[in-house]
Amino acid sequence: MIVKDAVCPFCGCLCDDIEVEVEDDRVVAVANACELGMTKFMGERRMKNPILRDGDRWKDITYDEAIRYAADALLSAERPLLYGWSGTHGEAQCVGVHMAELIHGVIDNTSSVCHGPSILAIQEVGHPGCTLGVVKNRADLVIYWGSNPIDAHPRHLSRYTRYAEGFFLENAFRDRKVIVVDIRKTETANIADEFVQIKPGGDYAVLSALRAIVQGKTDTIPRTVAGVTREQLIRVANLCKAAKFGAVYFGLGLTMTQGKYKNIRNAIELVSELSRHTKFTISAMRGHYNVYGSNEVNTWMTGYPFGIDYSRGIAFYNPGETTAVDILARKACDAALVVGSDPAAHFPRKCLEHLADIPVVQLDPYPNATTAFCNVQIPVAVTGVDAEGTAYRMDGVPIRTRKVLSTDYPSDREVLARMYALMQEALER
Amino acid sequence: MTFLMITGRTVNQGVTVENKTSAEYAAETSTCFMHEFDMLELGLDDGDTVRVTGPCGEVVMRASASVEVEMGTVFVPYGPYANHIVAAGTRSTGMPDFKSHEVEIEPTDEEPKTVHGLMEDLGGLAYDR
Repeated sequence: MIVKDAVCPFCGCLCDDIEVEVEDDRVVAVANACELGMTKFMGERRMKNPILRDGDRWKDITYDEAIRYAADALLSAERPLLYGWSGTHGEAQCVGVHMAELIHGVIDNTSSVCHGPSILAIQEVGHPGCTLGVVKNRADLVIYWGSNPIDAHPRHLSRYTRYAEGFFLENAFRDRKVIVVDIRKTETANIADEFVQIKPGGDYAVLSALRAIVQGKTDTIPRTVAGVTREQLIRVANLCKAAKFGAVYFGLGLTMTQGKYKNIRNAIELVSELSRHTKFTISAMRGHYNVYGSNEVNTWMTGYPFGIDYSRGIAFYNPGETTAVDILARKACDAALVVGSDPAAHFPRKCLEHLADIPVVQLDPYPNATTAFCNVQIPVAVTGVDAEGTAYRMDGVPIRTRKVLSTDYPSDREVLARMYALMQEALER
Repeated sequence: MTFLMITGRTVNQGVTVENKTSAEYAAETSTCFMHEFDMLELGLDDGDTVRVTGPCGEVVMRASASVEVEMGTVFVPYGPYANHIVAAGTRSTGMPDFKSHEVEIEPTDEEPKTVHGLMEDLGGLAYDR
């Protein structure tokens, strides 16, 4: 059987034109997807049943036992951390927020270690963004700043920018200019019309220089700014001003370097400046397929996009204090629930040392680095493969992922809803 | 020698990311991409092991020449190896300094640990060994 128009649950592009061939409840071939998406659909070596750590060995347990264990462990904690959420569907994220409120926990998603700083900047100066379709059909200038889509979002270039057709562009490949700004000469830099190589940590200065040039204060620019020549800066500013419609896509090259959210604020302000001359937009290259959804769901339910602390009984948000890395490093939680992410592979070691000391429950289809720190891991269906649910594309468009095959694995939402029901029951007693 | 360590996504890291206990994931995330002149300076060939010391510990990786990185900078794919030496401070943003760590790099005879090995060093218990 061939499933057409399946939605790829890997990155924030949420490509919705995938063809998946299924035989005997196994994916045997994938067409249209990039290498990342194909591997995700073809994923094997799933965990077969829930496991419990028993001293220095692992024991197989039933779903009932695992869910009961998880509910008890989280209920008996004073301030549990509920982390992850970007690798699951919106319906499961909803249950997660209700659970955090019920048990007075902290709920944080992976954006605190990816585009959290971008959201902090957006809270300061707003977000002049647009959907990917607008960029595809109108943009005659695209800037990738601190992002490397060939490795991280491989089809972004072919579906929306460099290699895409555009309704309002006669010959999109010729008429659309691509500028790449990075500290490394990446594969993406090789296909750019203009590559701006910045010295590490110099993004803020280069953004400020461009803003000055766009404002007509070219005289104030020194000979080089963070390794970029004055001539190139002027050329880039002129390209931007001459464009009919420009789009900036920025990645973790801006959020993870020094300056963090201030870099993004400066980039957004450059876009505002450019919009006095022409049309310009800016958007983040979101990583996990539903990290945008975790921000949406958290925001509409709690008022805040990530790092929400319910330990006082009301939603409290203070990035740097209520975000997962800070909480773990300060040993400020006494249990953890991990859903749809792998903090042991992506957090600094100090955080893992605390994970080793507290009860940890993880919902994940595969054994991963965090498995080693779990007391219980519950294997679940993969959203977009054997479970369906809503995900938000990197431009904020909600897309319903499809189920391409059937398995006996429960979805994240089903497992969380059962845990939540047990918690409610226990608290009512 | 002192270097600036940048971490980031690579296609191979993304392809193996759902299979984190595999040898392929370990090989990719324990690769330290360096400028070839820097490797020459340290007497390294492609695939030689290096000890990378960061603000909160050290880890063994394999050096690999790359035309993408500048001299004085090294690039390591996201994963447990780089994070073994990354500090947890976030400067009140929630985000650690994943792309601005100064590290010391020297040749070594030791082999990189497995992902299981790294996790067990920090108090975990490997599952699918």
